[in-house]
Amino acid sequence: MKAFAYVNPANEKEAVGALGPSGPQGPSSDVRDRVMLIAGGQDLLARMKDYIAQPDRLVNVKNALDATITATPDGGLKIGAAVKIADLADHARAAALYPALVHAAGGVGTPQIRNQGTVGGNIHQRPRCWYFRNEEFVCLKKGGNRCFAPAGENQFHAIFGNGPSHIVHPSSLAVPAVAYGAKFRLVGPNGERIVDAGEYFTMPTMQNVRGENVLAADELFTHLILPAPGNVKHGHYEVRYKASHDWPIVFATVILAMNGNTIQSARVVMGAVAPIPWRAVAAEKALAGKPIDAATAAAAADAALDGAKPMSRNGYKVQVAKTAVKRAILQAGGIKTA
Amino acid sequence: MQGRGNQTPPPKAPDKYLWPDKPAVIGTSVKRLDGPDKVAGRAKFSYDISRPGMIYGKILRSPHAHARIVAIDLSAAEQAPGVKAALVWKQPGAEVMFQGDEVAALAADTEEHAWDAMRLIKVDYEALPHLASVDQAMAADAPAVFTGGNTKPGPVQESGDIDAGFKQAAHVVDATYSTHVVTHVCLETHGCVCEWDGDKLTAWVSTQAAHGTAQGFAQGLQIPQTNVRVITQYMGGGFGSKFGPDTQGLICAKLAQQAKVPVKLMLDRKEEHLATGNRPSAIAHIKAGVTADGKLIAYDAQSWGTGGAGATSNFPLPYIYVFPNRRRTHQDVYINAGQQRAMRAPGHPQGCFLTEILMDELADRVKMDPVEFRIKNLPDRAPNAMWGEYFTRGAKAFGWDKRHATGDSTPGPIKTGFGCAANQWGGGGRGSKAHCDINADGTVVMKCGTQDLGTGTRTIVAMVTAETLGLPVSAVTPEIGDTMYPFSGGSGGSTTAASVTPAIRVTAFKALDALCAKVGPALGVDAATLVASAGRIHVKGTPSKGLAWKDACKLLGTEPISVDGDWMDGLSSTGTSGVQFTEAEVDIETGIVRLKRVLTVQDCGLIVDKLTTESQVYGGIVGSINFALYEDRILDRVTGQMVNPNMEWYLIAGMSDVPQIDIILNNMPERGVIGVGEPPTVSTAAAIANAVRNATGVTMRSLPLTPAKVLDALEQEKAGGTL
Repeated sequence: MKAFAYVNPANEKEAVGALGPSGPQGPSSDVRDRVMLIAGGQDLLARMKDYIAQPDRLVNVKNALDATITATPDGGLKIGAAVKIADLADHARAAALYPALVHAAGGVGTPQIRNQGTVGGNIHQRPRCWYFRNEEFVCLKKGGNRCFAPAGENQFHAIFGNGPSHIVHPSSLAVPAVAYGAKFRLVGPNGERIVDAGEYFTMPTMQNVRGENVLAADELFTHLILPAPGNVKHGHYEVRYKASHDWPIVFATVILAMNGNTIQSARVVMGAVAPIPWRAVAAEKALAGKPIDAATAAAAADAALDGAKPMSRNGYKVQVAKTAVKRAILQAGGIKTA
Repeated sequence: MQGRGNQTPPPKAPDKYLWPDKPAVIGTSVKRLDGPDKVAGRAKFSYDISRPGMIYGKILRSPHAHARIVAIDLSAAEQAPGVKAALVWKQPGAEVMFQGDEVAALAADTEEHAWDAMRLIKVDYEALPHLASVDQAMAADAPAVFTGGNTKPGPVQESGDIDAGFKQAAHVVDATYSTHVVTHVCLETHGCVCEWDGDKLTAWVSTQAAHGTAQGFAQGLQIPQTNVRVITQYMGGGFGSKFGPDTQGLICAKLAQQAKVPVKLMLDRKEEHLATGNRPSAIAHIKAGVTADGKLIAYDAQSWGTGGAGATSNFPLPYIYVFPNRRRTHQDVYINAGQQRAMRAPGHPQGCFLTEILMDELADRVKMDPVEFRIKNLPDRAPNAMWGEYFTRGAKAFGWDKRHATGDSTPGPIKTGFGCAANQWGGGGRGSKAHCDINADGTVVMKCGTQDLGTGTRTIVAMVTAETLGLPVSAVTPEIGDTMYPFSGGSGGSTTAASVTPAIRVTAFKALDALCAKVGPALGVDAATLVASAGRIHVKGTPSKGLAWKDACKLLGTEPISVDGDWMDGLSSTGTSGVQFTEAEVDIETGIVRLKRVLTVQDCGLIVDKLTTESQVYGGIVGSINFALYEDRILDRVTGQMVNPNMEWYLIAGMSDVPQIDIILNNMPERGVIGVGEPPTVSTAAAIANAVRNATGVTMRSLPLTPAKVLDALEQEKAGGTL
């Protein structure tokens, strides 16, 4: 492991300062490779040991960033980046308002990982793609010239998006965050900005392929801000190969705004199907104006997977994703699934 | 084979050495003596050994599946911080045959320095064509990677008249079956600590063969074996992959010699997956016929499989059931991947799966219950062939009568099914020696140069000693895991218990006889009339006429008892049988399989420790669940590099994935000790696949049962059928 400097800022301002000098043109382009944030360390330490990440400087943000969950004036919640995933999973108010998010938090990794890992870390962990995680494969995300998934072992890779990188976004919390219409608070040398969760994650292009979101190298993610949920029904369904300590093959969050027994509008977001939390607008349209029942759920699930483009080994994920969407919808309606 | 006929038969144990009819200790449930030490972290595994001045070794391995080494330059690495020794293992000009093949090594003052320095070793490789899969190796246009060909045919095994057999068949199943490559995944990785004192080497090795490893060091380093001491007090699993020093052991010893300080060289998880063995794949095209009344009649199989770069892949086929007319061919297929090693019941899980799935298909053809059909086609009943009774007994205990016909017809996506399968194994053993000391203060030490692979060997050494001396287990100090102790063989093939316990029994008896020789005159009785029980040495049948153990030992004065003993015939035997039943749930909308329960009926001769026997059965079953559902060595088909050399994507069952497991042990004391490490892991995977078939109505002919495969099979069934 390469030797590195360790900086331990006490607050947001010091943390931003510790990210390094920011010139008139902003930070130099490789700052993200040289200066890295650490909170729970559940992702970064493993990447460092495997020589996937070799930072010069680690900025510990565990003490600098907010580790509390607080109510907002509009009836929502503001979740600090340094909140432990376990604390979110156990938070009664969050569970009452955003059960899908709390469900997702409770399914992350293992109790040890949830007790060490943070909300900010979960949203910003790097892809779990096995080509990215093995040093031998110099893939697009590591500055190489190709994604190994299309010609290789792609059973857990994306079924949406046309590359050039075929990772699936690894965050369990990002999917319900997008579904609830969350906003992310970011701070940088010029102050704060608020970005919609739905606009935060980036589809890969050859220009941005080494990252997964719009966070600038001199910025910090500080809060996940959830609006008051309103009169909605919530569904969250994860399909797991193993029952314990495994990444979901596919998962889905469904938020249904109700008008009596009719769905007024819907948010349908799938995880582990694309390089970003994947919003299924066609499914949302298919749900609007319908009651929650098996036929509606099946039609919406079909619509959600319309346009999926699986590769050689991940065709089964289309069926798994349909099931996840269908069951999330039925779960939202209180209908027993499986 | 040559010397077999010349071997003198081992001495037969005298009648009084035979296992007692009414044992006090044997057959009870004794907790592992070292359990508290292991749980508390006091037990020192090789990984935990720390010696004064010790440094850390690392091995540079080939990143390529196949390449020629053009040049190696150690100079930059040798100059790196903390580096104390470095060596080239494969010289320029040599080929590396798989990702993970050893190339060079170094040792440094910290593990981190060793890792960093290793990256400074410059190796020029000339990449060569490689084979990343069996299909690539067998393709008509495959590059010739292996001398003598990428495939190697084995002999044809044939008996009966298969043409005549198929003529009598009322139904024929003709299909292809396969199992995949899995690795041993020992929780303690391979490796050791090596320390030289002049020309004498002490090595703390994670091995399942302490004495064999000492021999391996002596041969590999060309030093006298008397100069090598191997210590393995505790080790974290071997499963057949840890029988010698291995390359990493020899490298560790050489680095320690060069650096003149002790070196620890333990592999990491990635190296473990790549280079320390695996279970070969098995594929077979099988055509099998059954008569209208349900008798197996004809069998014709062409099988193949890969044990990696130049290693074998054979396995028993067909498994257990009797096909009077049969033919089978096998060929080894070589690919550029790590070589196979013996893995818990080598060959049997493959042979069992490839046979037992077919058995359910054939049973359906003749519309027979799978258990009834199996019983009808078993070999003759024998002490090592008890399947008929076990199937009947197990079916009753499991509630097999509640099994529905193939395909769960209840509504909803969750389908439930039952499956079963049988196993067999040899086991048995010989050749162990032991040494027993009884001191005047009453303390007892039993020494044997065996090792505890994790099965509880230390505990049964104490139990057999205690039984023989009429003492509680706590009164005996068992000493194992050191080549300073008398010879005992490797722990493989389920032979440890059957090798070690007779030697312990004989040695303890010899020690007891020596003690009785002192007690007899003191009591004024013939020593031959004395027995040991309940903490006393007394006249047989008259417990009051005797001495308490401690008082008896006081008679030893200044001369303790110190005796050696050997394994004797008559206390152990060979050959086990068992059956397993499973209940599985299949979500047909996701392809996910979850297990509800497993039940097994298993024998292993005389049960020494009921608790550790059950523990072996649990472990074997969990291993087979992993084989069925989770574990899979996945090589990138383009580069031949493993994509999941970790425990993130190389899946292992967690607590929540392990179902209720019910164990029915058939104790057979009249057979003596046999061993049970292997048989339980043979058949669970097949029983699971049959349960999935019973649940879904879809035949799963290929492991592992991933969601992708289950969904794919369900699709095929809709399109025309897998049945």
